[in-house]
Amino acid sequence: MKYSISVDTGGTFTDVVIVDEVGAVTIGKSLTTHDRVYKGINNALDSAAEELGISKAELLKATETFIYGTTHAINSIVTGKTAKTAFLTTEGFPDILVRKEGGKFNPHDFSEEYPEPYIPRSRTFEIQGRITSEGEVMEGMNTGAVEELLLRLKQQGYEAIAVCLLWSVANPEHELILGEMIENIMPGTPYTLSHKLVSAVREYRRASAAAIDASLKPLMQSHLREMEENLRDAGYTGDLLVSTSSGGCCDIAYAVERPIHVVKSGPSMAPVAARAVSLLEGLGDNVIVADTGGTTFDAGLVRDGEIKFSRESWLGKQWTGHIMGVPSVDMRSLGAGGGSIAWIDSGGLLCIGPQSAGSYPGPVCYGNGGKEPTVTDAAVVLGYLDPEYFLGGRLSLDVDGARAAIKVLADQMGLSVEDTAFGIIRVANEAMISAIHDITISEGLNPAESTLVAGGGAAGINIAPIAKELGCERVVLPKTAGALSAYGMQFADIVAEETRNCITNSDSFSFDAVNKALRDIEAELLGFRESHQGKSNDDYTIQYFVEARYAHQVWELEIPLPVGKFESDDHVQELVSIFHKAHERVYAVSDETSIIECLNWKGRLVIKLDKQTTTAAAVTETPVAVTPDAVRKAYFGRQTPEDTSIYKGVNLQPGTKVVGPAIIEEPTTTIVVYPGMSASTSSSSNYILEVIQ
Amino acid sequence: MNAMNEKSAEQMDSAMDPILTSVLINRMDGIVREMSNTLMRAARSTVINSARDFSCSIVTADNQLFCSAEGLPVHIFGGHIQTQSMCDLHPDLKEGDAFLHNDPYMGNTHPADHTILVPVFFEGEHIFTVCAKAHQADIGNSVPTTYFAGATDVYHEGALIFPCVRVERDYETIDDFVRMCRSRIRVPDQWYGDFLASLGSARIGERRIKEMCAKYGKKVIKEFIVNWLDYSERRMVEELRSMPKSRLINSTSHDPFMGVVDEGIPVNITIDIDPESATMEVDLRDNIDSVDSGLNTSEACAISAVLCGIFNCMKSGIPANDGAFRRVKFLMRENCAIGNPTFPHSCSVATTNVADRLVNVAQSAFAQLGKGHGLAQGGIGMGMSCAVVSGRDFRRNNAPHVSQLFSGASGGAASASTDGWLNFSVSVSGGLMYQDSVELVEIKVPMLVKSLKYLPGSAAAGEYRGAPGTELVYGPVGNPMTAAIVCDGQEFPPQGVLGGHASEGARTFKILEDGTEVRLPNMVQEELKEGEWLRGQDNSGAGYGDPLDRDPERVRHDVVEKWETLARAKDIYGVAFTGNVDDESLAVDLPGTEQLRTRLRADRVASMS
Repeated sequence: MKYSISVDTGGTFTDVVIVDEVGAVTIGKSLTTHDRVYKGINNALDSAAEELGISKAELLKATETFIYGTTHAINSIVTGKTAKTAFLTTEGFPDILVRKEGGKFNPHDFSEEYPEPYIPRSRTFEIQGRITSEGEVMEGMNTGAVEELLLRLKQQGYEAIAVCLLWSVANPEHELILGEMIENIMPGTPYTLSHKLVSAVREYRRASAAAIDASLKPLMQSHLREMEENLRDAGYTGDLLVSTSSGGCCDIAYAVERPIHVVKSGPSMAPVAARAVSLLEGLGDNVIVADTGGTTFDAGLVRDGEIKFSRESWLGKQWTGHIMGVPSVDMRSLGAGGGSIAWIDSGGLLCIGPQSAGSYPGPVCYGNGGKEPTVTDAAVVLGYLDPEYFLGGRLSLDVDGARAAIKVLADQMGLSVEDTAFGIIRVANEAMISAIHDITISEGLNPAESTLVAGGGAAGINIAPIAKELGCERVVLPKTAGALSAYGMQFADIVAEETRNCITNSDSFSFDAVNKALRDIEAELLGFRESHQGKSNDDYTIQYFVEARYAHQVWELEIPLPVGKFESDDHVQELVSIFHKAHERVYAVSDETSIIECLNWKGRLVIKLDKQTTTAAAVTETPVAVTPDAVRKAYFGRQTPEDTSIYKGVNLQPGTKVVGPAIIEEPTTTIVVYPGMSASTSSSSNYILEVIQ
Repeated sequence: MNAMNEKSAEQMDSAMDPILTSVLINRMDGIVREMSNTLMRAARSTVINSARDFSCSIVTADNQLFCSAEGLPVHIFGGHIQTQSMCDLHPDLKEGDAFLHNDPYMGNTHPADHTILVPVFFEGEHIFTVCAKAHQADIGNSVPTTYFAGATDVYHEGALIFPCVRVERDYETIDDFVRMCRSRIRVPDQWYGDFLASLGSARIGERRIKEMCAKYGKKVIKEFIVNWLDYSERRMVEELRSMPKSRLINSTSHDPFMGVVDEGIPVNITIDIDPESATMEVDLRDNIDSVDSGLNTSEACAISAVLCGIFNCMKSGIPANDGAFRRVKFLMRENCAIGNPTFPHSCSVATTNVADRLVNVAQSAFAQLGKGHGLAQGGIGMGMSCAVVSGRDFRRNNAPHVSQLFSGASGGAASASTDGWLNFSVSVSGGLMYQDSVELVEIKVPMLVKSLKYLPGSAAAGEYRGAPGTELVYGPVGNPMTAAIVCDGQEFPPQGVLGGHASEGARTFKILEDGTEVRLPNMVQEELKEGEWLRGQDNSGAGYGDPLDRDPERVRHDVVEKWETLARAKDIYGVAFTGNVDDESLAVDLPGTEQLRTRLRADRVASMS
C-alpha cells in the first residue's frame, strides 16, 4: 500500500489526512504544539497510523508525497515575531506603508486608532534615484550613500531587507543594484525586491508584499528546514511539499525563497477540497465553500472548476490591515460562529456579534463561566445538540444555563425561549448568507447554480437553511468536514505564478512587447518546473491571463487569454470580446465603444500531482430505510417541539436516506436535517443534503 | 426616561418583529453594498473609482430616506428631496424609467454630483426609488473644474443642469441627453463610462429590491419600512435623552477668497438639545446672505454636513435615515449662503469647503459639554493634493485630460480617546476616500510626483493629537498643466478643543524653474510649465485636550516614529527622555517629565498674569 499524507497545523488542532492508493481516507487529530510544531504532527501521525494498524515508521516509509500546511507564518505576524526588517524605498516616499490606499469603515466612528505600518517609519530608509513611468532613469542612484546605509543596517543588526522603489516594474535597474549591494555588504541577509515578487503597478501593493515576504524569510527558512530534517530523521524519503496561499503547493526551496506564499497556507485549501468533493459526488464544478469554526466563518468560490483568486487579500481588515499583494485564494472571513453573542440593542433589534465568547469561556452551555447567550447556546436550547454527546462526548453541556441566558433576551422581546433561540439562529444565518451573496453575486454568479460544500465543526447546525435561502439545491457535508483544509491538500497540484507589467491598449496593441512579456513568463515558469526535480513533471499546463480595464477605469478584471501568443488583430479582437462579456457579467453593463487597457500579464503553471486515484463515486443506490438511534424533541420555529430522529453517523451505511426532522451526530460535527429536508449518505460516505423539495 | 422606555417596549411588542427586521435590514444593506461595489469598480473617473466620491441610497415611495449604507456623509441627506421632485415632475412615472438629477435647487448636493434615480415597481406599485449619486470628473463648466469657487452665478459656472430629466424609458437610454452631454462635457467617454456605471448600479439595486419583494411580499415589506424608520427614531431618542439639556453656540470661518469674499465666510451655529422631548434644534439662520461665488451651500449639503458633525459625536450605529432625522429640526433662512441660497447663485463648491466647516463647527461645539464629548476640528481643505489637473497628454497625441487628484490628505481631528486619523481628507468624506497610487496617477496624468510624505512635528498637539497633513510636490511632464485648487484652512486653520492646539494651517507654493518658492493664494487656478512645481502642505487635524496631559509613552512613540521632534516633545508635551532614537533605546524619564510638566504649567500661569 502506498500513501499520501497532508498536514494542516491550525491555531488549535493539527489535522493529518492520509489517503491510500484506492482513495480511502484516514484522519488523525492532535493539539498543535506551538513551541515545536513537529511534536503535534508526530502525535497526529501516531494516532492515524494506529488507526491504519501500522507503525509510524511503516507509514512514512510507504508514503510518496507529504504536504505541509502551516499557520507558522501568520502566527509570527500576529504575535510580532517576524524579523527586524528594514524598508528601503524611493526618496520622497517614506510613507507608502503608512498611507496604504486610504479608506476606512464607519465614517462616524472616531474611537479607532490609525493602524501602525507593517514596518515602522523608524526602520524605513529613503534611497536617492528616480525612474519614471516610462522606465527612464530621471535621477541616478547614489551608491555611496547606499553603501553607508547598508553598513549602518548591518551594524544595527537588521535581519532582513524589503526593497520597493517607484516604477521598478517599468525598469528594475535600481532595485537590482540594491540587491547586489545587499549581497556584497550584508552577505547572507535575506532580502526581497518588490518587482521580483509582484510585477504589477501600484507601489503600496508591491511594498506591502515585499515587506511581509522579507520579514518572514529568516524564521520560515529555519522552520521549514527544521521540519524537513525532522521528517527525514523519522525515515521519510518521498517528496515534501508546502501548501500555498494560491491553492497549490510548492517545494521547500521555493517556499523558503518566497515565504509570503505560505501565509494563507491552510485556508486556501478549503476550496480545493470542496471542488474535489463536488466532482467526486458528480455535482459539478461550480462550488461555494463555507467553513464554519467556533469564531470565524470563511467562504470561497469555485467557478467552472477555477478557484476564485484575489490580489486584494488583506492581513487583518480591508484598508486598515496589510495587503498581501500576491494573488491568493479569495476566502472571505467573517467574525461569526458558534461563539457569537446574541444581544438586543437599545432600539429593540436582535443582533448577533460581532462580540464572541471565543473558545474560552465560550458559550454559556460550556459551563466555563460564559454569561452571554451565543449561537451554540441557541442550538442547545432548540435540542439540536445532544448535551451528552458534544464533541463525541468529551464535553457535557449545561442546558439550563443556556436556557436561562436566552430567557433574558426572550423576556425583553416578549417571545418564548424557543422562538428567541430560533430567531438567534436565523439572524446568525443572515450574516453568512450576506457573505456568500457578496462573493457570488458580485462576480455575476448565481448561488442557486452552485453546489454548497460545508466544512468546520459548527457547519451542520445551520448550513441547510442557509443553502435554502441561497437557493442552492445541492449541499454536501464531506465526511472530512472537520479537516477540510488538510483534505484539500490531497488534491492540490504544484502551482506557480509569474506576472509581467506591460501596459498597452486594444487600439494600439503592442504585439512585440506583449509577446515578449508572455515569453518571459513562460521561461520563468518552465525554469520553475525544471527546478522541481524528482516530481512527475510531465503533466503540466500554463494558462495566461491579463488584468485589463476600460480606459480611465482603475480596477482591473482578470481575463483569461484566448492565445499564448498574439499574432494578429483577430487575437486582439477575441480578447476584447472576452473582456466586454466579463464586464457585462460583473457590472451589468459593458461599453463596446471603449478602448481596453491591458496592464499586468500573468501565467499560471499547474503541474498535476498524481497522488491517488479519485474515482467518481457510484451513483447512490435506492435509499434504504434506517431506524433512528434515539428520538428527542427539537424546535424548528413552530409552536410546539417536534419528535426528531437522532442518528449516529457511524451507523449510517452508504445509500441511507434520512428524512427531517432529524439530527445526525458525528464525532466532530452535528448535522441538523430540518423538517421538509432530507440527507443521504453517498458511497464516499459524504452527506448530501436536499434542502429544496 | 422610564416612560419613553416603556412606550418603546410597547410599540415594539405590537409592531416590530425584532428578528424579521434584523434579517430584512441586513438584506437592504447588502443591496446598497452591491450597488456601491458596482459603481466604484465600473466607474472611469478617479473621483469615483479611487476617491469613492459617490453614494447609493434607497428612498421609500413616499420619499423618506430609508437606507444609505456606507455612503459619503455629505451625501446622506437629500435623496428624498430629489425623489420628491421626480414624483412631482413626472406623474407618468413607470417601470423602466431612469432620471438624471443634478440640480442643487431641487435637493441635489452640487451640479457635479450626477444622481441617477430609478423608481422600483413591484406588482405595478411604486415601492422604492434607488439613487446612485456620483461626482463627475467634468460637467461642462466654463472652466475645467467641478469646484468653481469663482463662479459669480450659475451662468458663469456653466454646468449642464438636469432638473430631474428622464434618461431612460422602458429600459432604453434616451440618446438626446447623451448627445447633449457628449457635445459639452470634457473627455466625454469618461463621463459616458461613469453614466453607465451609475445606471448599472441603480438597475442592480432595482433588480435586487424586486427579488426581495417577491420573496417576502408587499405587506411584509411595507411593515418593515415603517418598523425600520421607527426603530431608527427610537435609537436617536435614546441618544438624545442621554445628553444634558443645553444650548451650544459655536462659530468658525471659511478662509477669504480675495475679490469675492474678502473677509471669508463666517459659519455660525446654535444647537439646542432637549433631552425631555428628545429633540435637537439646529439654527443656521445667523449666517450671511448668498455670495456671488460657488461657495454657497445647498440645502442638502448644509443639512448633511451638520448631521455628519452630530453623528460624529454620538454612539455609532444609529441608522442615518429619515427615522433618526425626524428628531433633528433645522432652522434656515431664505437667501442665506448656508442652506438656502437663492437662484441663480452658484453652489459649485457646496459639498466641500463651507460644508467641511459645518461638520467641524458642529462636532467641536459638542466639546462644550466637557471632556469626553465632541471632537476637535480637522479634515479641512482640499489642498493641491486634491487639485483638479488638466491639460494635454503628450503620450496620447496631445489629447485633453482632466482629473481630480487624491494624492494626499488633510489630517483628521483628535477625539476624546484617539489621535486623528491619517488619510482623513475632508470632513464631509468621513475618512472613507481612497488614496491614489502614485504610479497610477503618473500613468493617468502626464505629471511627475517628486515627493509625498508627512513631516515630523506637523501634527497639532493635544492630549490626543491631530493627524498630520501630507506634504506633496508635483509638476507637469511634456505640456503645461493647469491645477485648480480650492483650499481652505490657510488663513483660519482647524482649532483644537479643551486645550488642544490648532493646526499650523495649509499652504501652497509654486517652485519656479530657478528654485524660488512663491506662496500661492488659498484658491487658485495655476498653470505650470515643465520644470515648474507645486509644493503643498495639507492641514493637520487639531488636538483634543492639553498636550501636558498626553501619555508620555505616546509621545515617546511619536518621537521614535518621527511624527514628533525631540524639541517639540520637550517644549510642548513636557516629556523628558533617556537613551536615543537611533539605537532604539529611547525611554521616558518619568521623574524628569513630571518636573518638566510642573514647570511648563507654572510658566503658563505666570505668562497669563
